[in-house]
Amino acid sequence: MSRNSEPMQSRAAVLAGVAATAALCLWGALETYGFERAYQQQNRDPYMVEAQFARLAGIAATVPENAVMGYLTDAQDGSAGASAMLAGAQYVLAPRLLARGTGHEWVLGNFARPADFAAVGRSHGLELQQDFGNGAVLYRHEAPR
Amino acid sequence: MTGLAWVAEAVLLGCLLSWRWIGLSAIKPAWARVLLRAGAGAAGGMGLVSCLFFLLGVLAGSPAAAMVVELALLAWAALDLFRRRGSAPRMGVAAGRTPVLLAVSAVLVVAIATGAIAAGWQFNPLGNWDAWAIWNLRARFLASGAGLASRAWSPALGQMTHPDYPMLVSALVGRCWAFSHSVSPIAPQAVGYAFFLALLALVGGGVAALRGPVLGLLAALVLAASPALVHEVPAQYADVPLACYFAGAAVFAMLDEPIAGGILAGFAAWTKDEGALFLVVFGAAILIFRRQAFSRAAAGAMPGIALLVVFKLGLAHANSSSLLASSLPGAAQRVTEGSRYGAILASFGRELAGLGVGWYHPVLPLAAAALALRFDRSRAREAAFAGVVALGLLAGYFGVYSVTSNDLAWQLQTSLGRLLVQVWPLLLLAAFACLRVPQLAAATPVPRKRKAAVKERRTRA
Repeated sequence: MSRNSEPMQSRAAVLAGVAATAALCLWGALETYGFERAYQQQNRDPYMVEAQFARLAGIAATVPENAVMGYLTDAQDGSAGASAMLAGAQYVLAPRLLARGTGHEWVLGNFARPADFAAVGRSHGLELQQDFGNGAVLYRHEAPR
Repeated sequence: MTGLAWVAEAVLLGCLLSWRWIGLSAIKPAWARVLLRAGAGAAGGMGLVSCLFFLLGVLAGSPAAAMVVELALLAWAALDLFRRRGSAPRMGVAAGRTPVLLAVSAVLVVAIATGAIAAGWQFNPLGNWDAWAIWNLRARFLASGAGLASRAWSPALGQMTHPDYPMLVSALVGRCWAFSHSVSPIAPQAVGYAFFLALLALVGGGVAALRGPVLGLLAALVLAASPALVHEVPAQYADVPLACYFAGAAVFAMLDEPIAGGILAGFAAWTKDEGALFLVVFGAAILIFRRQAFSRAAAGAMPGIALLVVFKLGLAHANSSSLLASSLPGAAQRVTEGSRYGAILASFGRELAGLGVGWYHPVLPLAAAALALRFDRSRAREAAFAGVVALGLLAGYFGVYSVTSNDLAWQLQTSLGRLLVQVWPLLLLAAFACLRVPQLAAATPVPRKRKAAVKERRTRA
């Protein structure tokens, strides 16, 4: 026999409590559905990672999968935007490995603003291989290291 | 074969093995037994194939060998189960009747939760930040073969990608992509959803086995209607798998199946760094409450622990980004700053409130059930086991926040909500383990006047 210290509830109270619990859960599930639908719709791909597949498709087609690529950007180092740009590009270009700096044969230029990308490359000793648009640029060292 | 089919194959393999090896034949009601075996099978199967793929497909460099071993295991388990069909003893204590309306409500709530999760799949198919910056990024490396898999833990990835994090989820998703020759987002979506269903099955089935069908269904209902948990499923992070392993390990320990509990605890350690803390807390709780089961639980956890040690010390030791290790310098000064504790406590309060949505909070149905059914003190020990594990984890998380060298506000804001999601099923398990079984409550002692009237009527008759 259990050592219940609490007084026992009537059958009606128990049934009402169980029904209330189930009803509250149904309400919670509907609230969750409404919230999630609105939230996901309003926060659709906030870092635009999906868009990177199209934006970096030309680079993925050109650079071999086993390459370690350098990485050049105009985003402010340490900012959330810079982190998102690097992480998004790394995900899309994997298994190619992106390493900050320009000390590799292939270098990804990942720019947020328009600029003279050829000149930017030259200032780092890089030759512009191809400008794929939308700030996606492929550089290559003139003398591969 | 698509990535989805390979997730299904992992679940099927785990289910067949759990049907064969976990001795739950005495458990009633039958659906609780089915849920427990399916939940343990899904979680265990996905953990098993993750380990196999990491060992054979990644370290030995032969994904084909991993696939062959898996399929051979599947064929053997299916054949063995077929040979043994009908031989399992059907015994055990009588369980209360399963209320059909409650079961229908549970199915309905799971269906609505699935709709909410599907919204995430529709609008954010790649998941949230950590999915594509950590877990699935490393899965892409693991799936690439050709000697490139080791890039998944390369120091070149930088601290942002946490290349030393345990590999269960990444290896599982990478396996699906490698076997299907496709990097479809359906595989990580299906993995997250399978762990969500396994979690519901383990908690619902576990509470039903321990405390009867009504409480089991109520526990599953409350869990499936937990907005923060549902929100994490389409994120494709490792927190829902981890919550599943935490709850599964506790359930099987409470059902006196310590080996199965240990296996799931080992998989928790192979899922995320918090899993290592769980191993310590879980082991301590078993030593306190179920000392005789400790050695069997430890034996069950060994494969997961061994794989974690090989990975952390042998492969990823050069790029450790462990929050605790990186926080040690200057920790002595930080722990003396009283304002940190206030900030952490306030954040715990905020995030606990944030487990709900709008006016709804999952504590509401739990409170309704507790008010109606009351507590059964004779079950305090079972509740204490799950409660100690949950509180031990929360205390550990609190301790890490108190010493972290990262910006405290940022750290709390970006992680605490997910940590509470990991622990929430354990808290529910503790609460439902000590609620009074409704049949007991319904068998109310008849008041004296009514008792006398009944006696009188019987005498007349």
